[in-house]
Amino acid sequence: MFKKTLAAAALSTLSLQGFAATEIEWWHAMGGALGETVNAMAEEFNASQNDYQITPVFKGSYEETMTAGISAFRAGEAPHIIQIFDAGAATIINARGAAVAVQDVMSDAGYNFDINDYISGVRYFYADENGKMVGMPFNSSTPVLYYNKEALAAAGVQPPATWEEFEDVAQALKDAGYIALSQSHTPWIFFENFHSRHNLQLADADNGFSGLPEKVMYDNDALAAHLTAVKEWKDNGYYGYYGRAWGDNQAAFEQGEVAMWLGSSGSFGGLKQSTDFDFGTTYLPYWESVYEDAGSTFIGGAALFTMAGHSDEEYEAVAAFFDYLTLPETQYFWHRETGYVPITNAAYELAKDDGYYDLNPDAEVGIKQLSLPGAEWTKGYRMGFYVQTREVIYNEMDRLMAGDTTVKKALRTIEKEGNANLKRFARTVQ
Amino acid sequence: MQRATFFDHLILWAGVIFLVAPIWLLLASSTHSVDTLIKEGLQWLPGSEGLSAYKTALMTASGFTDTATGLRMLVNSTIMGLGFAVGKIIIAMTAAYTLVYFRVPMAQFLFWLIFSTLLLPLEVRIVPSYEVVSQLGLLNSYTGLILPLIASATATFYFRQFYKTIPEELLEAAQLDNANAWLFFKDILIPLSRTMMAAMFIIMFVVGWNQYLWPLMMTTEESYYTIVMGIKNILSVVREGRVPEYNVAFALVILAMLPPVLIVIIFQRWFIQGLVESEK
Amino acid sequence: MAKKVQFAHTWVPYVFIAPQLLIIGVFFFWPALQALYLSFMLEDPWGLSSTFVWFENYQTLFTSADYLSTTLFTLGYSFAVVVLSLGIALILAVKANAVLHGQKTYRLLLTWVYAVAPAVAGITAYFLFNRHIGVFYDAIVSTGWLFAPETSTFDATVLLILVSVWKQIPVNFVFFLAGLQSIPVTVREAAQMDCESPTRRFWTITFPLLAPTAFFLMVINITYAFFDTFGLIDTLTQGRPAGSTSTMVYKVYQDGFLGADLGLSSAQSVVLMILVMALVMVQFRFVERRIHY
Repeated sequence: MFKKTLAAAALSTLSLQGFAATEIEWWHAMGGALGETVNAMAEEFNASQNDYQITPVFKGSYEETMTAGISAFRAGEAPHIIQIFDAGAATIINARGAAVAVQDVMSDAGYNFDINDYISGVRYFYADENGKMVGMPFNSSTPVLYYNKEALAAAGVQPPATWEEFEDVAQALKDAGYIALSQSHTPWIFFENFHSRHNLQLADADNGFSGLPEKVMYDNDALAAHLTAVKEWKDNGYYGYYGRAWGDNQAAFEQGEVAMWLGSSGSFGGLKQSTDFDFGTTYLPYWESVYEDAGSTFIGGAALFTMAGHSDEEYEAVAAFFDYLTLPETQYFWHRETGYVPITNAAYELAKDDGYYDLNPDAEVGIKQLSLPGAEWTKGYRMGFYVQTREVIYNEMDRLMAGDTTVKKALRTIEKEGNANLKRFARTVQ
Repeated sequence: MQRATFFDHLILWAGVIFLVAPIWLLLASSTHSVDTLIKEGLQWLPGSEGLSAYKTALMTASGFTDTATGLRMLVNSTIMGLGFAVGKIIIAMTAAYTLVYFRVPMAQFLFWLIFSTLLLPLEVRIVPSYEVVSQLGLLNSYTGLILPLIASATATFYFRQFYKTIPEELLEAAQLDNANAWLFFKDILIPLSRTMMAAMFIIMFVVGWNQYLWPLMMTTEESYYTIVMGIKNILSVVREGRVPEYNVAFALVILAMLPPVLIVIIFQRWFIQGLVESEK
Repeated sequence: MAKKVQFAHTWVPYVFIAPQLLIIGVFFFWPALQALYLSFMLEDPWGLSSTFVWFENYQTLFTSADYLSTTLFTLGYSFAVVVLSLGIALILAVKANAVLHGQKTYRLLLTWVYAVAPAVAGITAYFLFNRHIGVFYDAIVSTGWLFAPETSTFDATVLLILVSVWKQIPVNFVFFLAGLQSIPVTVREAAQMDCESPTRRFWTITFPLLAPTAFFLMVINITYAFFDTFGLIDTLTQGRPAGSTSTMVYKVYQDGFLGADLGLSSAQSVVLMILVMALVMVQFRFVERRIHY
């Protein structure tokens, strides 16, 4: 059997060489079921034509993938396409010469590129200061509230729309034997999207979109009040804090220990498989007292960047693959399988026409939230060395929840370290 | 000499259980179904599934190119362990030979040059190492996997110490016989070093097999993945909140430790000698 | 110290030492010098631009509160690992040395863990102490201790030390046993006659004879706790919670590597290099002295 496999492998190598297809590599951070979906799409693309071959390579977490890409780029061994997450956007977009804008890749290869084909919520998050799209917002998600329907029914409550409502709901859930809430990504949900939802500025230079920012604006009263409330909820048994790992907090929800969970709209596909109870999805709660017209949130997830230093034929292959990826059918497949939002209007329309949301209204929550009216500070943010700043936020949250620091001190530390990171980064790219 | 009491045996058994129990638990649990493990947790007794999880772990490919099966990863780890051990022993023996048996200018300087490699483990110079390896075009190759790891002088020192314990009369006799340097090395030193070589081989094989960060860094082609890297894949599954196939994950963990453990057990005598000799 | 009788040859010794020099030149000195160079630079992650900043990276490092707490953690953690693993191994070795029949079996059962990779040990512990399937977790919680290594620094540290000690006992055990067996029978017999209490006998006769081994092992164990535990930390705690279980080596990886700040991480590498240099000097002096007596 082993010999047969070898022979087959040899044959397939031969046949590939026969076609002399342009080969490109795509480094990504999609493990498990997501990775399988990525592989399925790559296979379909490879099978759909004979000119190009794409090989996806799983490189670990978002951070690890970015680092691997950076090391490879420095060594002149960069992949053609790399998936970079939201926090790393500044690192690649501000570095002139590391990436080729997706918009250029597409138009150079003769494809029609119109940024307005993309849904408004994802359009400018990975764009440069002139509004040119640099990274393709491949897997875009947004934080939403998942709730265990059985638990809420047992407590006789509805999912809260605001944090004011949450406080009442939480007591009822506690009486019914549940911890009301857990949450999986403190910087993303309680910091960045907190500011977007409440239309609050979070960094100078237009959140970093009009230049290199030097000041993080996290030390504000609204956030301080929110974190103070979260700490109180934890002490009252309303909020379960299972550390900073995404999975530990999600698992508590899946196991029915926690009744509501703030996670990513992209978690939808996974939750459907891992839960044996009925769950619903709704918008990220907000403080009515802070901002009544709570609006759109930021996208999370990651984008695909084309790395500099490759040949024109290879960029053609990249463009062909991006074209395939943005096809309404591909996007609809990706959306259905994973729960990430469809990134083009056409794909969203296709999903609607197909009646997907009639059967799965919950699957539409993420994209609807992203389509809520935006305001001045909901476009996105771009901050240098933000991966480290997020690390500080995670650490301070750990300390705050353990009672080792106060909200005031934590926010001050985050601002201080965040500002230092911004200044340091600004000097590296000048 | 005093005999061991019952109490002594009790303490020893406590030690044995402390060391063995964790691995036993994993081993026993790997023969259960995923459902049992999720519902009832880890199991102390073997289950009904037999070795089916091992079959899955060995034969099922993860990744895109279908090449990263457990079996393939085991083969890669073996190549890495063997290449590391053999390479290291060869360069260590020859280098130590020069240091001990020859009068060369700057011997002390050379010695310190080699010795200083103990100062900076690969983990802390990994980014520049990666750049060097890629500049040499060695990414995704066994050479690139192995050579940077060999660049540390541990074994050289062990052999240096060992040569020093070899009686000088041997060399005097050899010189009288007009044997040249190569023959002395081949006919006298190598045969004398056999046990030392075996002992070093075992230690170095284990070290090479157990490498974690470096292979993770420098392999992008699935056909070069090692089994210890497979551990990282399991972790990425659990960290993202997905339930892994526990039994297969455990099987992979057991497979990742099995070869070095077996070698240490089978060649116990040499292993002990290798450890102890090396530090004299 | 070299042999008294040596070959005098012109080119042969260079041929023999060349492979070693070549490999360490290319794969050690080149990268190490690059790390040193980078530690004086402020560089953008992609290597597109860089500025020479003198000692700024070091200054940033030494004024950071995090770095101080990481250093303190590394020292405390290393101390705990060294003391516990040496202590437990010593007890086991003394007991095993007293066993006449079956000593080999004990030795086998107590040493094989040596071969388990730190990363593999880490993931094993991860499963055993997992909230959902870990039987050890259940056992701890049933005592009323709300074990939560994800959020409690204390619990995470305990877990990390436990696994690190587990992994290190075999090496120490082997050395202590060898050390005990190298004590001449006559000394042991004399001791038995002079000194009736076994405890006193241990502390006045056996232990002083073991002291060189113990001291030597201490250096080995410190090196282990500093460097070899990387895979263990990466699979078990990743420095969590709040970065409080990061060792210095793990922090180099986290800051420089994952944070893409090469200058700062290179500076950390250099600091570590100096630390290890001091450590190895001690070891070297000691090893050389032992050879000569």
